[in-house]
Parts: sequence; structure tokens; C-alpha cells
Amino acid sequence: MSIKTYAMAIRDTIASEMRRDENVFCMGEDIETAGGSFGCTRDLYKEFGVERVRNTPISEAGFVGAGVGAANAGMRPIVELMYWDFAYVAMDQILNQAAKIRYMFGGKAKVPMVIRGQQGIGKGNAAQHSQCPEVFFMHIPGLKVAMPSCAEDAAGLLRTAIRDDNPVAFIEHKALYFIKGEVPDDPEFMIPFGQAKIRREGSDVTIVATHLFVNRSLEAAEKLEKEGISCEVIDPRTIVPFDYDTVINSVKKTGRLVVAHEAQKTAGMGAQVVTYVQEHAFNYMDAPAQVVGAKPCPVPFNLGLETAAIPTVDDIVAAVKKTLYK
Amino acid sequence: MAQKIIMPKQGLQMTEGTIIKWLVEEGGQVKEGDQLFEMETDKLTITIDSTATGTLLKIVHGEGDVVPIAETIAIVGETGEDFSDLLPAGESKEEAKDEAPAAAPAREPEALAIAHQGGGERRFVTPRARMRAGEKGINIDDVPGSGPEGLVIEKDVLNYAASAPKATPLAKKIAAQEGVSLADIQGTGSHGKIQAADIAAKIAARTRGAARGERLIPLTGMRKIVAERMKASLTDMAQANHRMNVDMTEAVRIREQLKASGVKVSYNDIIIRCVAKALTEFPMMNSSMTDDGIVVKEYVNVGMAVAVENGLIVPVIKDADLMTLQEIGACSGELAAKAKENRLSPDDYTGGTFTVSNLGMFDVDSFTAVINPPEAGILAVGKIDKTPVVVNDEIVIRPIMTLSLTYDHRVVDGAPAAQFLKRIKELLQAPALLL
Repeated sequence: MSIKTYAMAIRDTIASEMRRDENVFCMGEDIETAGGSFGCTRDLYKEFGVERVRNTPISEAGFVGAGVGAANAGMRPIVELMYWDFAYVAMDQILNQAAKIRYMFGGKAKVPMVIRGQQGIGKGNAAQHSQCPEVFFMHIPGLKVAMPSCAEDAAGLLRTAIRDDNPVAFIEHKALYFIKGEVPDDPEFMIPFGQAKIRREGSDVTIVATHLFVNRSLEAAEKLEKEGISCEVIDPRTIVPFDYDTVINSVKKTGRLVVAHEAQKTAGMGAQVVTYVQEHAFNYMDAPAQVVGAKPCPVPFNLGLETAAIPTVDDIVAAVKKTLYK
Repeated sequence: MAQKIIMPKQGLQMTEGTIIKWLVEEGGQVKEGDQLFEMETDKLTITIDSTATGTLLKIVHGEGDVVPIAETIAIVGETGEDFSDLLPAGESKEEAKDEAPAAAPAREPEALAIAHQGGGERRFVTPRARMRAGEKGINIDDVPGSGPEGLVIEKDVLNYAASAPKATPLAKKIAAQEGVSLADIQGTGSHGKIQAADIAAKIAARTRGAARGERLIPLTGMRKIVAERMKASLTDMAQANHRMNVDMTEAVRIREQLKASGVKVSYNDIIIRCVAKALTEFPMMNSSMTDDGIVVKEYVNVGMAVAVENGLIVPVIKDADLMTLQEIGACSGELAAKAKENRLSPDDYTGGTFTVSNLGMFDVDSFTAVINPPEAGILAVGKIDKTPVVVNDEIVIRPIMTLSLTYDHRVVDGAPAAQFLKRIKELLQAPALLL
């Protein structure tokens, strides 16, 4: 075990996989000597050289497409998007090419590729650098989508992503990069996809949360415990595949569900989870499920306004109480 | 394509079945092979599987309906499908009647509103609360709601259940049998739990002359069948009765010998074996009176009466005359177990030619059994009791059992019936004759 930040857990996992498999290489903007805007490839060029830690022009469509081609040709590229907001430039490559090639070629062509980068609020980066677009990738079949919320999960899920023969959208969060946690040193440490983690056990209300909102939900649970309300906090860790069973089992116990995420509430992951739960555990519901998500507006530059648009710990507390008719 | 679900024929003698419970609601999805409804037939409650896949479009016969075999009881198809031509004639007319006013201008919003008021205030219940109430056997309408606008939530059901009188399962059973309301009783168990003794005290406290009610048990299923059969038996036949004491010394010995060698047979198995052999020698006892004449059966199927909850059933040991004692023992054990667990199939309890009814285990010395029609006889078996008897002019103690043969005098006269009974006695007293 080592104590390290989420960002260093990612860098060390990339390094360990590049040592293990010479087909693994990195591509992205400013990832070489600059080590990436958030340090996730810091110093990797020193060990692996600039052939395997490659800088690209500012051309997401081009270098994501190059990644798809390299993956088709037998390499295992890790393509960094500086901001997941920039994925929109490369949507055809991600959603039409990477996601569909294995299907359209009847399994004969594979795309063992990781597209990784960070999303979300936390730095006052404004409307084009603070979004949470994970639901686009959840919506289109053919991609796996990982969303680690701590250093340990970042390491375990990234290793699984790199070794997966399918394209993985590996979505990190800029506000989590500098949070430290224990990470196993084992170069084979992997967390299987589709296995949610119960971050806190409780009996009254089930909270499903991703990324930063795992931490906010845990904080809300702390507050609510003082009022005698026991919350179970579940982190799905990957949203494709999604571990619905863990959520359903929890809801069968609690009868109440809150889904909390930073992304837009409208047509977000919460809507999907609530739909699934009411389809499969309607009889167990003792209150309407609640979704806590961003208000339908671009993320404001002003930090005060950003706080107003994005749900807070108190919003989660209020949603939990609503399921208890309080 | 909509399909009819019909009342299935379960066994040769079934002519109608009573629908006890639909396991799928109208509008629900069913798959071929899914459990669809429970019904009572010829003495059994059984669960019937769906013969079609789709939406349960209509339940034609509701719970409690008695339906002749092959009649349509439900329609399965695709939602929205027109299935009127599949309905029995009366039903489709009713449907048409229902449809007519819908098209007529009489359906003004005001009329609807009035109809709604007449239906009383609607109560809202969360799915979870409804589920809990179902689990606990609570009528959800009795539970006060604490949620917004009186919404009933799980907590309300749990609180209601906690405040309801608690009783041991035995106390609940006795209270139900005796028609005693638990609400009127102060429990003496821990936390006021009502004990069987509390119910007994309540019953004991019933004073002479006080007004006491009656209660009606609806005549359904097994009780109804037993009532009809027994009445028909005594009305249609000329039943007469002989009794004979049997010295069971040798039967006891043979049973002990078998037991010592690891073979378990009951006295009843030994009796059935002897009866089966005697029946082959007295074919008239193995016959039935019919409108056309007396049907003498070449096969020997011995029924054994088994008491079950709220009734009795007579599973049949087929070809008992061709079985060894051990085979009869195995067969009777399996049938008795199936009967107790309500697992008998119609074939297990039909086709009998003669019945043995044993009440020895209930300490009955001897009794007169009523013939199970269309059979011609029934042997009633009492307990085996150590009795002083005279053997070779000396009084000795012997295990004595009384057999009581009820026979249909229309078919068999007194003398041959006596010879038949005597033969069973001989076989029981000298079981070596069975070999």
C-alpha cells in the first residue's frame, strides 16, 4: 500500500502497464515533457521515451481517430483528452467509430483503447471546461464507462480498462486529482467493471452517487445520521456496465432512493437508475425516488453562481428528507 | 392471436372445478408454463399453469366460481387485441352492453364526477406499504396514513401491525376455529402476547344463557365433495355390516420379523395385502352396481383412507393383489406422505375398487364405515388390543383387532360377505398363506 493522490495513482498505473506491455502507449496534448495539464503523465517520457508518450496537436478528432486506428492495428493506446468537454470535437471517432467497429466487423476487429481525461467543476473553468458529459457515453452502446471516485478505484479501474479489449471512456474528475488515498502497489491490482461499492451502509435511504458526489453524499449521510437518519451510499464506479443488483438490493432494504450527481438532472444517469429501479423494485418503494443533479444551465464562471447551479451537500440532505416525507 | 384458457380436466372423474385464486391479475403478463390460478377439484387444491403466453386480457370466471371442464375461464393475448369472439355467448353480450354507453353522449364529465363521489374517497398507499400489509395479512384500508394527504407508507403498516393484538400461532388457530375475536382478549404472555390458554379461558367463560352467534362455513372443495359422496352413498346403496374379531398374534410376529430384518411395514399394509388377496377370491366384493348391471373388475385397486386437514382423501394402491407386502408398504408410505403434503395427482386417488379405513391409531375399537361409491365394500379397522380370549379352553391374552365390513347388499348377500370377511381373518391369523 502507498498513500498517493488520485492523479499519481493514474500515472503510476499507466507506467506499470506500459512496463508490462510494450503495446501500451499514450497520446494527448501536452502529455510529454509537461506531463499533462493535471500531471497524470508526469515524467513518463523519461522512462518510456517520446515514441510511447506522444504529444499531439490540438486536434481531438484527429488524435482520437489515430488512437482508434492504432487499436485496430493491435496497439493498446491510452488517449488523453485534456478536458472531457473536448470530446465533442471527436464525437464521430468515439461514438461512431470506436464504439461500433467491433460490432460492425462481427467481432473480427477490436478497439482496445482507453480515452481518459477529467471533467467537472472545482477550478472556476467555466461553461466549456466544467461539464459532465458522461451520459453521452452511457447512452451509446459499445463503450464502457468508468468513473473512479478515489485513488484506489482510479488505479484498479484504469488497469482493468487498459487490459480490456473494448473502448473504455475513463472519466476522471479534476476536483478529485489531489485527494490522497491508499493504493495497493500490486501491479496486478484490478477492480472488475460493473461492481458497485457500498461506501457506507445504512438502513433508511439508499443514495447512489458518482465522482465528487460520492464524497458529498457521504458528508450528507454524516449530517443526517445526527438526525437519526441512516443512509446507504453506493458508488457504481462504472456506469457501463452498471451494477443495478447492488442498488436494487439496497432499495429492497430501505424502500427509498436518491441518485446524486454533478451532471445535469435532465436525462441524466439518475433518470436511468430511477427508471430501472421502479421497473424492478416498484413494490419495495415507499416514496418517490429523487434525483439530485445540476440545474439546466451552462456551468457559470463565477464560483458563487457555480455553487448555485451545482447541487450541494444540503441539496442531498433535502432530497433524502423528502423521501422520508420530512 | 388471443387464446382461450379453459378449465382443465384433471383426472377421469372431474366434471367441474372451483377457481380459488387467480395468481395473475387481469392485464398482467403470463408465459406458458407460469402458474396462473389455483383451483379446487375432486378433493384437491392444485395450481394450474398457463397454456398460453401474453397479456391476461380477461378473467371470465372470478375467484369462487364453479366452472365445468373445458369452459373458457380467461383470455390471453396481446394488449388491445379484440377477443370478443372468444368469449362465451353470454359474456360477449355483456361486453357489448358495457361498450354501448361509452359511445353514447350520456358520459358527461359531471356524470363521471358524481360516480366518483359515490365511490368514496380514494386512499393512496405506497407500493412498499401495500407489500408489507400483504405479508402481514393486514387489510390496508384499516391502516391510517401519516404521509402527505393521508398517504399510507411502510411505517404506518408496521406501526399498525405492532399495535394489533399479538398471538401465538396456536392461539390464532384456536381463535379462528372457535370464532373468538383476538381484539377482545387480554394476552397473558410476554408483552401481552395472547396464548392458547387465554383463548381457552375466554371460551370457558362463555356463560349459560348468554346470546351467542353462529357462523357459516361455505361449502367448497373437499368438504363439499365428501358431503355429496357420503350422502349419495347412504341414499343409493343398501349398506349392511358384519364384524369379526381377529387374533393378530401371527401378524404381530411377522411384522416384528420383517422389522428385525430392516423392512418396515405397518399393520395396515398387512391388512391391505390380505384384503387384496381375498378380493381376488371374492370378485363380487370387487365390483360396482351400475344402471346397466353389476360391473365385476378384474383389477384390484385398494384405497386407503387418509385423514388430512379439513377432510379425508383415499389414495389408491393400484394392482395391490400383484404386489408383495414390501411393495405395498413402500407404495402406501409414499401415498400417505403425498396426501399430507397435498401433492396427490388425480391418478393417485381415482380408480379404487375397495377401501380400507383404519382408525386404530385413534383408539377406536370398531366402527361402521360408509362405502366410497361406486365401490361395493369398505373394511373398517379398529385398534389392536390385548384381550383375554379362550384358546383351547384356556383364557389367554391375545392381540385382538375388530374388523367391520360394510357391503352393498344390492351386490353381495350376507353369507358371501361373511365368507369374505372370514377369509381376511384367516389370512391375518395365518400370514404364511400369503406366500
